[in-house]
Amino acid sequence: MRFSGLVENEILKFTRQRRFRVVVLILVALIGLIVFAQSRSRERFAKKDWHVETQERMARIQNWLRDGRMPASSQRWARFELDRLRYHLDRDIDPEAVSGPLFARGFANAASYLLLPLLAIVFASDVVSAEFAQGTIKLLLTRPVGRARVLASKAAALALAITLTVVFGGLVAYVFGGIAYGYGGWGAPVLAGFRVAGERLDPAAVRVIPLWQDAILAYGLAWFASLCVGAIALLTSVLLRSTAAAMGTMLAALIAGTILPRLASSWESQRFLFVTALPLPDYYSGSPPPIPGLTLGLGAAVLAAWALAALVAAFAVFVRRDVLA
Amino acid sequence: MAAALPDAEIVLSAEHLTKRFGRREAVSDVSFDVRAGEVFGFLGPNGAGKTTTIRMLVGLARPDRGAVRIRGLDLARDFRRAMVHVGCIVEAPDLYRYLTGRENLVHFSRMLDDGATGRIPELARLVALSERLDDRVSTYSLGMRQRLGIAQALLGNPDILILDEPANGLDPAGIREIRELVRHLAEDRGIAVFVSSHLLSEVEQTCDRVAIIHRGRTLATGPVRELVDRVASDRIRVVARPARAAAGILAGFGEAETSAGEDEGSIDARVPRERLPDALRALAAGGVDVFAVERRLASLEEVFLDVTGGETV
Ligand SMILES: Nc1ncnc2c1ncn2[C@@H]1O[C@H](COP(=O)(O)OP(=O)(O)OP(=O)(O)O)[C@@H](O)[C@H]1O
Ligand SMILES: [Mg+2]
Repeated sequence: MRFSGLVENEILKFTRQRRFRVVVLILVALIGLIVFAQSRSRERFAKKDWHVETQERMARIQNWLRDGRMPASSQRWARFELDRLRYHLDRDIDPEAVSGPLFARGFANAASYLLLPLLAIVFASDVVSAEFAQGTIKLLLTRPVGRARVLASKAAALALAITLTVVFGGLVAYVFGGIAYGYGGWGAPVLAGFRVAGERLDPAAVRVIPLWQDAILAYGLAWFASLCVGAIALLTSVLLRSTAAAMGTMLAALIAGTILPRLASSWESQRFLFVTALPLPDYYSGSPPPIPGLTLGLGAAVLAAWALAALVAAFAVFVRRDVLA
Repeated sequence: MAAALPDAEIVLSAEHLTKRFGRREAVSDVSFDVRAGEVFGFLGPNGAGKTTTIRMLVGLARPDRGAVRIRGLDLARDFRRAMVHVGCIVEAPDLYRYLTGRENLVHFSRMLDDGATGRIPELARLVALSERLDDRVSTYSLGMRQRLGIAQALLGNPDILILDEPANGLDPAGIREIRELVRHLAEDRGIAVFVSSHLLSEVEQTCDRVAIIHRGRTLATGPVRELVDRVASDRIRVVARPARAAAGILAGFGEAETSAGEDEGSIDARVPRERLPDALRALAAGGVDVFAVERRLASLEEVFLDVTGGETV
């Protein structure tokens, strides 16, 4: 009774249920739709030759820099912009155009709000409750395997499913984005490492990294956030023993999380709610935080704390509680 | 139906099991031993506490008081080592319906030692499912699921098999199949089998010993025959002519009834053992021809009515 065998069991159950195929289908259909809609709306803005436009912009920036009247922080930004434009010009890429890699990178931000957490919830909500609903929990927990081990194997399989979903989502976004915008451009320089100091961006922390690195970071954060949501959904699945109830609870929380910052951004304590911390890639990309004081570090710490507490509670309840289903 | 040797090894024992739901005690102070090679019946009406007891036997629910020992191992403290010896079906043969029979067996064999997977073909043959093993369980009949459930329970070569109302919902042929399987496992393989049931005839035909549970309490425990004899000692059947006159005379010594008239017929009567000789002399004196007098074995139904004080099953 090796642990890998138990995980194998859970994976078998994941893949043999219709849910898995539905998630794959949702990802493909949704991303396809976004790419299609986006490329359609772009076609309307046909403009003059971008080579000329880019060269004009580079010339303007060089003039500013030569002026010397620019503050130091802006000079850094201006040099970056110059590098960026040169990179694209050298490779004959329109710097304002979306590339496949850029689209895939942007998908990480967009999906971390709702889509990826949602899919994590779809997987996690019935990990335990389905066993209760089917009555198979009575067999699962009367085998010579400790209950903690059973739940651990389920958590491991869930983590794997979530990981695959994030990776698959990224791949589909790249493939579809590539069809519409071309596959090249992973090396394009991007700014990263924004840090908010008070009300303003702290320029000292900004670094220039290639797009592929930036994308890996963004997907890493989206993955981490999804795993944490999965852990919390696992707890609701253990507590509520009903897939519908567990999924409903988590969805309500998710939706509240997208509404709260807009309706009540001044309520600072909400930065300690896991739902407001979900769009980690956003905080990392330097968009102003939706709630004052919510930084990438704090967001990640909040999510991790929630996930850890949820796992501890899930194990404690699962191991102790009578099975009367 | 060879009763298990009284000194055969005790495989499962329940010691003073008690379980409360809120204020109500669903199971109160239930104790019994199950020995190797015997089929032990757990008989009680709906809501008697059979399933609740079984949940405690297999570690799904914690007893509020009492303990379960499996091969001497305390279930609460040695769950994993104890459960190696147990196979069970609780309440209903629930398996993964979206998986095939084989996938279900592979799934549960992965929770056992390495040899379990190798037993799948043999077990499928034993429960007559070889042909349908690669079909989804959702296409199985209840009887097939019950048999697949038993195959699952046997994967780990258990010493004790615990079945909760295995006859529930099956047709007579299905019930017989399960009964024969259970007898085979006990007699030929020496497995101890614990079966709960609310069907008296079922327990009478399948089990060696029985415990009767009612409202959470065990009312009687013992060999099926002994329990039957306990209430049956005064039950006789007399074949005589004229039947009606014979019934009239016998009624003077206890109870008697017959459906026959002036001809030869059988009379069911209850006459205490010590008065039987007098009763027979009275029959002869009354000009009645007696052709046969036999002990009438009570059914478990009567035993049950007797121990529960006449409450319905
Ligand atoms: N989870 C529960 N919560 C509260 N009461 C319960 C629970 N499970 C069982 N009971 C009660 O405990 C008593 C025993 O129930 P149990 O299911 O053990 O009976 P049973 O003998 O298996 O009956 P049946 O023949 O109908 O299966 C019943 O009165 C039932 O209402
Ligand atoms: Mg029951």
